[in-house]
Amino acid sequence: MKKIILFLVFISLLGCEKDDICDETQSVTPRVIIEFYDASQPSILKNVTNLEVHTENEIDTTVVFTGVSKIKLPLNPILQTTTYTLKLNSTIVASANTDVLTFNYATKQLYVSRACGFKNVYELNTSNGVIRTDGTINDGFWIQDFDVITNKINNEDEVHIKIYF
Amino acid sequence: MKYTLKYTFSLLLILCSLTINAQEITNAETTTAKDTISPKIERFGLRVGVDLFKLSRSFYEKNYKGIEFVGDYRLTKRYFVAAEIGNENKTQDEDRENFTTKGTYIKAGFDYNAYENWLGMHNMIYLGLRYGVSSFSQTLNSYKIYNPTTNFPEQGVIQSGEKFNGLSAQWVEVVAGVKAEIFTNLYVGFSLRLNRIVSNKQPNNFENLYFPGFNRTYSGDFGAGFNYTVSYFIPLYKTTTKIKETKKKK
Repeated sequence: MKKIILFLVFISLLGCEKDDICDETQSVTPRVIIEFYDASQPSILKNVTNLEVHTENEIDTTVVFTGVSKIKLPLNPILQTTTYTLKLNSTIVASANTDVLTFNYATKQLYVSRACGFKNVYELNTSNGVIRTDGTINDGFWIQDFDVITNKINNEDEVHIKIYF
Repeated sequence: MKYTLKYTFSLLLILCSLTINAQEITNAETTTAKDTISPKIERFGLRVGVDLFKLSRSFYEKNYKGIEFVGDYRLTKRYFVAAEIGNENKTQDEDRENFTTKGTYIKAGFDYNAYENWLGMHNMIYLGLRYGVSSFSQTLNSYKIYNPTTNFPEQGVIQSGEKFNGLSAQWVEVVAGVKAEIFTNLYVGFSLRLNRIVSNKQPNNFENLYFPGFNRTYSGDFGAGFNYTVSYFIPLYKTTTKIKETKKKK
């Protein structure tokens, strides 16, 4: 009888299946994390006001950020380049200023887990990883300077690019 | 899961029929044992067989091909040297990845027969220990990218076909099972196994989610499996032990 109970325990173990759910915070394809700093005091974070971010791809997307100093921009996994138009003070026509950031990168697929599958990681090109150009209207740069902190976009835990304005 | 249930039930059925069978024989044996005191004959030899579960699964499951041969050799009254050798080829379709595992394994160890046989019986209820070694390859057929960003078109299923060769793993296995002689020298048995990984050489940028001889690995380091065997006993020599008559005199 003891043996039979033992076997039943074994059998019940066979039926066990670990609930393998993908933990989104750890395993998503990372976006580029950009932090904004004051150009006159480069160690102090500065909030953007009415920053209109727009990307032209198969699906046009426009997002407006205001009162934040950190934004996350996804990269196009199919192409090796993604262009973002950043329009500061977008609500006021007179003071609006448009700059364009072009990201050039290589995409790699990294295994995460059974439940998550793979994720994309990006490596910005060393020579032309991030390029700043002026918008269609020549209104000068509002982005006075920027630093590529790391060209490896592997996760969303760290800041990848710092922008001074 | 559906199959696991099926096997659980069929295993239980076999177990029940085995106990019933044993009861009938023992009753008959007790009556004869009372009448005459015959010497107890212990048979020693080699038992070889095949795992019917893996064999039959190869027929009904399109994505699975496998075979396992089992063997044991009786060393002493209760101890058996035991081994399993097998080959598996399994394609697993997960939600986010599809991969094929191919490889060979060998498990070696011993069985301890805890069952006190009546005269003329050679059945086993045993516990055992194995050390398993598996050598295999993984082929990543396709996978999906986890990317919740909706700004860009989805990448969909990516066909890969990347093959990871020269992988290996080792594990220990605790076995519990029964073997019953249904005809002279012909045995039917099943065993349940709990495994724990000792070492596991992972592929670069993928994972051994399954490997031959062990089963799936993603429930932690532990795994479980079972086999259902038919085996033939090749008797090599016999020993006879006289039954102690002290009890009878009293």
